[in-house]
Parts: sequence; C-alpha cells; structure tokens
Amino acid sequence: MGDFWGPDLISDLPQSIIESILVRLPIRDAVRTSIFSSKWRYKWNSITKIVVDEKCVPPSNDRTINEKSLLKFVNQLLFLHQGPIHKFQITNSDLQSCPEIDQWILFLSRNDLKELVLELGEGEWFRIPSCLFNCQKLIRLELFRCELEPPLTFKGFMCLKTLILHQVLISPEAIETLISSCPLLESLSLSYFDSLALTIHAPKLRSLYLEGEFRDLCLEDTPLLVDISVAMYMTDDIAEHFEQSSSCNFTRFLGGVPNLERLAGHIYFTKYLSIGNDPGKLPVTYRNLETVELYQVSFEDMKEILVVLRLITSSPNLKELQISGSSNIPTATDAPDLDFWSKECPSDCTLKQLKVVKLTDMCGVPHEMELIKFLLANSPVLETMSIVPCMYVMESQLKMLIELVRFRRASARAEIVFVRD
Amino acid sequence: MSEAAMAVVKPEMKSYIWVQTVDGSLQQVEEEVAMFCPMICQERLQTGMGSSKNYAISLPQRVNPAIFGLILDYCRFHQAPGRSNKERKTFDEKFIRMDTKKLCELTSAADSLQLKPLVDLTSRALARIIEGKTPEEIREAFHLPDDLTEEEKLEPLRNMTDDPRIRLLNRLYARKRKELKERQKLKNVVVEEERVDDRSVDDLLSFINSVDGDTKGTKTSKNKKKNRRRKDHIKDPSSINTNENFNKGLNALPPLCHNGVANNVSEASTSNHLRMQNLATVSFSSKHEFVDGGDDDDLDPAMKEELDREVEDFARRLNSDWPERMQEILSLGQERRLVPISVNGNCSTQIYTGLDRR
Repeated sequence: MGDFWGPDLISDLPQSIIESILVRLPIRDAVRTSIFSSKWRYKWNSITKIVVDEKCVPPSNDRTINEKSLLKFVNQLLFLHQGPIHKFQITNSDLQSCPEIDQWILFLSRNDLKELVLELGEGEWFRIPSCLFNCQKLIRLELFRCELEPPLTFKGFMCLKTLILHQVLISPEAIETLISSCPLLESLSLSYFDSLALTIHAPKLRSLYLEGEFRDLCLEDTPLLVDISVAMYMTDDIAEHFEQSSSCNFTRFLGGVPNLERLAGHIYFTKYLSIGNDPGKLPVTYRNLETVELYQVSFEDMKEILVVLRLITSSPNLKELQISGSSNIPTATDAPDLDFWSKECPSDCTLKQLKVVKLTDMCGVPHEMELIKFLLANSPVLETMSIVPCMYVMESQLKMLIELVRFRRASARAEIVFVRD
Repeated sequence: MSEAAMAVVKPEMKSYIWVQTVDGSLQQVEEEVAMFCPMICQERLQTGMGSSKNYAISLPQRVNPAIFGLILDYCRFHQAPGRSNKERKTFDEKFIRMDTKKLCELTSAADSLQLKPLVDLTSRALARIIEGKTPEEIREAFHLPDDLTEEEKLEPLRNMTDDPRIRLLNRLYARKRKELKERQKLKNVVVEEERVDDRSVDDLLSFINSVDGDTKGTKTSKNKKKNRRRKDHIKDPSSINTNENFNKGLNALPPLCHNGVANNVSEASTSNHLRMQNLATVSFSSKHEFVDGGDDDDLDPAMKEELDREVEDFARRLNSDWPERMQEILSLGQERRLVPISVNGNCSTQIYTGLDRR
C-alpha cells in the first residue's frame, strides 16, 4: 500500500497520547482501531480504562442474547488485553449475576485495579467475590445491587477515597468496619439501606450522601466533613423507636462537623434531628456553612421549627436557604405558640450574608409566616426571597400575601417573589 | 494575534525570552506566555537559558514555528487571569477547529512541551474525529496505510463468525494470498523444501476425498494442488482436521524421504491404528505443523493460541465422528495393497495390515 496521501499523521505519536485518545473513545471504537493499519493492531491493547455500557454490543430485543454477546465481548476483551487496567466499569442492565463476572474481578484484582463500578441489571444481586478485597490499590468503589461480605481477615482498602454503595446487602457491622478501615476515605454514599444504625468514623471524610431508612446516625469522627446530604425515610417502627430515645440527635449528627459548607436534608431528616433533648444554644458555630436546604419541614411541629432556628442562628455566614414545608392548610382553631420566636431567638441573630431564600410548599401556617417574618427582619443583604404557595385557592393565597406585606424588611434591596403557577 | 497581549495601556517593559525552533530560527516570546509551558519554564529556571540570542532555549524537535505560534496563542489566552470557565471553554472549542494534520502536529508539540491541558484538549478532539467513522474514513483522515491482510482485519472481537472452521479458512486464504504474492516476487527460486508438508497434505486430501486416487509424485504444479486444496476445503471443511493428524505423522519423518513418504503414508492412511494414535496425540505439535509454513503471518501469540486452541477443540469434537469416517475411508482403500511401514519419531506408530484392528 503506498502512502499516496503523504506521511502517516498519527501512528507515531507517543503511546501516552494514543492512550489519551483511545481512552476517550467508547470501548468498541477503541478496539476497532486495531484494523486501521498494521501499526494500530495492538495499540488498543494497553488501555487502562474499560467501560462496558449499553453501546458495547449490537442491541437486540432479547435480553439473553444481549447478555451472551456481552459476556463474550468482555471475555475476549480481557483475554486480549495487556497490561494494567485501572478503571473497569460495567453499566448494563442486560447483564445479570453470572460466574463470568467473578472471573473478571479475579483477573482485574491481579491487574492493579484502581476503580471499579458495577451496575448490573435488576435480577439476582451479584455476590462480590472475595478477590475484590485483595485490590489494595482500589481508589474508587461503586456498587449497585450487590452482596458484599468482607472476609474476616480484611484489613481495609488503604487507598480508597470514594465508596458508593447503592442497594447493597451488607451487614451493619461490616459496613461500619469497612468505613472505618479505609483511612483515606473522602466521599461516602450509601443508599437504600434498611433500618441501619450507623456510626461513622472517617477522619478524612469530606462528602457524605445518605439515603434510606436509618435507625440511628452518628458522626463520631468526621471533622473534615464539608458536604452532607441526607434523605431519610422512616417506617412506623423506627418512628416508635425514636419516641423512646432521649439522646439529642442534632448534636450526635451535626455536633462534630464545624467545617460544614453545605447541608441538605430531605423527607424526615428534620424530624430526625428534632428528636431528643433540646441542645439549647449549639456549642458549634458553622462558620463555613453557606447553603442549607431542608425539605419537608413540618411547621406544626415545634421541635422541627426549633431545629431550623438553631441551624440558622448558628450559621453566621449563611448565603442561601431553601426550605420546603409539609404542613396542612391551617384551620382557624390552631392556636400557635408565637412567643416561641422571641423566646428562642438569640439577641443578635443577624444573618449578615444571607442573599437568597427560597420557600416552597408554604401553606400559610402561622409558624411559616413567623419564619418569613424572622428572615426578613434579620437579613440586611437579602436580595431575593421567593415563595411558592402550596394552595391554589385564591382566597388563601390572598390571606398569605396580606400578612407578608406587613413584614418589616431589613434589606432595602429585597425582592419578594410570590410564585403562582 | 499578538495585539491582544501587546495592547498595553502603559508602555511597560515586558520581559522576553529567546527560543529556537528545530529549523534553527530564533524568535522572542513574552516570558509570561512562554512560561505557561512547563518544559520552557523548567528549562528557564534550571539552566537560565533564554535570556539572549546566543543562549536561546531549544524547543523539542516536534515543535515547528507554525505550531509554536498556535501554542503561544493558547498560552496567551489561558495564562491571563480573570477569565471565566465559560470563556475558556468557548476559546478552546474555537481554537481546536483546524485540519487533522495540524491537530496531530499540535498534539505532538503540546506533549513535548508538557502542556497537559492542551494535550487533553487535542486528544478529545482527535477522539471525536475517530469516533463513529468507518476504518476507510479514518485511514483517509490520518493517511494510514491499509496494510493488514483480510484475515488480520477480522476483528478479534467479532460476534458473528464463531465457527472456527470458517476462521481457519480465512487464515488459509490469507496465507495463500501472501504466498502467491511471494511467488510473483521470487519466480525463479524453488521453494520446495519449505512446502514439503503442504504437498503431502494435498495428496492425502485428494485421496481422502477421492477426487483423484492418484498418489503420484510431488513434483506436480503447486498451483494446481493449491486450487484443489482450496476446493477441497470448501467442500469438506472437516477434512482440515484430518490434515492435521496426517501432518503430524508426516512431520515425524525426515524430509528426505519425502517422495516415498507420500506414497506410503497415503496407504497408511487406511490404517486405523495410525489414525487412532494420531487422534490420541493431537496436541500442540499439530499446531506447529499446520500453522507454520516457515514464514507465518505475524499473528500475535495470544491470538494464534486462541485460534489454535479452537482448532484443537474442534478436532477433539470431531473424534466422535471418526468411526463413521473410518468406514468411509476404509471402503475407499479396499483395493490398496498395504505395506507395513514403521514411522519414526514422536508417534512411533506401527502400521499393520488388516483393517479391523482398533
């Protein structure tokens, strides 16, 4: 074959660049490069990142056919591959638990695996083989719908920085041990755990994401935590259990995170925090806390309101606040304890940095209005407050607006945006 | 392109450094812009070069003046503080629009200057070019030679043609084509010695398939043999494995008795015993006999092994067919006069008269 076009442009680039290019291609295209020319035959062989997703094999309507061709593809791929594999990801819903995956993990564990993402189909959950625990270089582990059982001799992943477990079957002791035995853990994400009582020891942890039913949450050793997001579901027996508890959940969870920058709580999170004895003025001031999002706060529960108040008043540098309510439209017979606000607010609670406030699902319950009043009166640099009411009846909206208009505003620039659908 | 950087409000003294590109030409560049390249920065700080014309920093070989100009544009934009991420992204997207040749040169140059952000940017652009294109389009875009054989082009990960027989066929085709090419080049050179095995196999094959009961000498024209062999293969792929077995037996013999061997072994082919022995010992050696015709196609050992293993498996699978096949062959060989022959070598087979020995 003559090169009548001129000299070859790309084949002689250094392998690091070729790898840089191949790694940015879908795996199938990367392998296809082997038929470009004789020099390209085995260039793909040493790519260090393999992502098996929905596009790897030609799709067909039959899941078993897809699965078979996928298995074949990956088997041949791994067999022909040479050199270390740093990242291996499977995100394919046609693939379900099968013995081949065990072998792949064994192969990977011998090839310097650093990142593993396993997201198989919705079928039988894959049981992670024990060879995974030999991957001492593991930096990132992301598992969906698996069974995880660390062997008794397991001492931890010394390099693990990110752990994401979503619908993973693992015993509570094992999960706590796993977390505490990874000294470099920076990011933890646990979702869909049932009735888990969790105490977290992770001195380097910076980011925490929890979603599920938690019987108990305690952050015991997480001084560097910067970002927390919790979506807490509650079943009846957990709720009962809470009624009997007296320890202050707020301090147990948020007592040891002075560097917090962002907090987001969904569903029953605020309720969870409200359980237990009132901490009074919090010992901790969250100097870096800039964003607080609390959803489904019940403004009929004094304790929950107290949680919100405590949080706001302990965050002098709060910039953005988002709260959504979950109350019912008030009836005339509600006689709220409005002294509460003057009693519980510290004397100086100016929110010197608060710029944006977003309140959604507001029903016009008295305490909601008090909160708005409080915020407007204490935010000298407020720029926007948007309110989204939860009721559609014109009359109730009007009532709310009439009250709103009376409130004093500390910030001359504040815009109140009343959002109507 | 330099107005942006040169538009100084106050006439300040900007410092310049001297660089020399591979073609020998010297140029002055703004120090802060050039120092954005780690390689230049390192060179400057460690050796102090670049302060004057005589001590200009030599740029790596892969950086030619035109490309260096582009790189300076990139550096000039990105080293300026206060640019938003969006601005940078927009600049990058516009910057990267150039023909493929320049893009490759730019990647190479950026890599030699250790300018990682630019390498990432250009790699992404190249990946975008490669993605989704057919091999022909890629070869055209990057001026790649189309120098793989058809067989080599069989994607190692093809799902469709599983059948090892077809794969073997394709390999044979590829080899034959290569051989034909070589024939044309070396017309006058006799390459009999190399092709010893092939011819014998041809003979056997023709015998087995009773195309031509003729077990004449080996000096027949090679092309004819080849064509017949190809036809035979198409007709009866399973005979390939028969070849292997016989091949194995054959190669145990010294090449000198080649002529005689053909006759003998063809008669020996009727023997159950030989066959059984061969079957039992179908193993790695069969790979070598069959595969290596001397100069082999440069298959990667791994792929070779994979294909050979499939052939082996296939052979073993075929073992169950042997009783039937044997009957067929025996019935063909009825008229032959059987000559006892002992075969030297690994298999140390004894060929007996009498057809019913199993």
